[in-house]
Amino acid sequence: MEERERKSVKSDSKETETAPCSSSASAPEQPKTDGKTGDDDALKTDICSDKFDPLLALYSPTAPPLPFPNIKCFNNVAEYESFLKGGRGRAKPENVEKKRRKAMKGVADPERIERLKNLMVKKPESEEGESSSGTTQRRRKKRPQKNVLTRMPLCKGSPLGELYRCVEERIRVKVHIRTFKGLRGVCSGFVVAFDKFWNMAMVDVDETYREPLFGEAFYHEKALTISRLFEKLNLQEGSGGDEPVKKQEAKEKSSKHQPADAKTTPKSCSAQPTSVKGDSRTAESKLPQEVKTTQGKQKVSMKAQGPQTYGKVHTRHINQLFIRGENVVLVNPQPL
Amino acid sequence: MVFSSIRERTIAENSMVVLLQGLQGEVTTVDLRNESTARGRVVSVDAFMNIRLADVLYQDRRGQLTRLQDLFVTGRNVRYVHIPDHVDIMKTIQNQLSKIHRVRNFASEGGGRKEFPKKTK
Repeated sequence: MEERERKSVKSDSKETETAPCSSSASAPEQPKTDGKTGDDDALKTDICSDKFDPLLALYSPTAPPLPFPNIKCFNNVAEYESFLKGGRGRAKPENVEKKRRKAMKGVADPERIERLKNLMVKKPESEEGESSSGTTQRRRKKRPQKNVLTRMPLCKGSPLGELYRCVEERIRVKVHIRTFKGLRGVCSGFVVAFDKFWNMAMVDVDETYREPLFGEAFYHEKALTISRLFEKLNLQEGSGGDEPVKKQEAKEKSSKHQPADAKTTPKSCSAQPTSVKGDSRTAESKLPQEVKTTQGKQKVSMKAQGPQTYGKVHTRHINQLFIRGENVVLVNPQPL
Repeated sequence: MVFSSIRERTIAENSMVVLLQGLQGEVTTVDLRNESTARGRVVSVDAFMNIRLADVLYQDRRGQLTRLQDLFVTGRNVRYVHIPDHVDIMKTIQNQLSKIHRVRNFASEGGGRKEFPKKTK
């Protein structure tokens, strides 16, 4: 159809070009061929005939019959030229297909629907009546769900993965809790769940902690922070009256195998000089005074004796505790 | 359990805040960062761990008790939350997660909210 169009149009243009010559030639011819005007007219207005007269066709009252119904009409030669060169909208086969598809875009193509249905995987319906409105949605839902519980095992290979191991194997851990500056205390228990912020849900928690110091005591405590912090973090052992001795013991031995020294500490505490706040020794006496027995790793806390009313050490048992991760200093899994 | 935004829901879903949200309605003790404690019924917990408590007994670090009708604690100021003994941690978390899952799927499934539920439902 297209080829024929081109040919017909070409012949049209050819004849328009030759029109000036032919019209002048036909004019003198007309009076001669009066008898055949009827036929001639028909022939002259017939585009496909040899005797086509374009002027006649243009000025005739009726439009010349078009040989083909969907013929392409141009207003001038330039238009025709650009059409030939394949300008915008030229009816190439691929363009035609594209235009058709675009026109049919919104319309549901039954063939396409059938194709997609064949690709659908049959799945049992969930409680929400999860009928998909298309296979593409189904594919998106297949992505594994990520929530706090699924993220726990994902941490393997990182420190949090180690924590997950403690969850799985139900290893008792010691969580060091911080105060605004320094250590507050230790929570010993089993981790049930955690997240990336180190928020932890724990059970069977024994918390040993010390009230924070204020003012002068705090100021002076600061001066000794390094060694005291070191001591606390490693041993959580109070250095009661026998400070130098205790300290030495603490530094030498590991945290788990401290010999019980319950008897000596209360004595030494009472023997301590009291009331002088700025005294470094009194400050140190307020260290958490826990003594571990070798058997059950139970901590027994001793309150600082004497008139000191601050910096006391406390122990309590909490069955289920949630710790905000911000307050966690470190987590120490306890080897079995 | 109403989230203000999808962002909040996602934050909650991927953190332990869901456990605290499961405690809504329970009476718990919240230990604050400033060594004070607040014991009361949990009204709501948002994704940032901001806790709203009702009918609260607030004990400051000196031990002074105060009764409050309503208390709002900023998430950052929370140190501990005591979980009641009768609460099962894992179950609570799973319940909360399934609630979130349902809500999320509800929105995406029907191509938005529909006036009438689907027949399959």
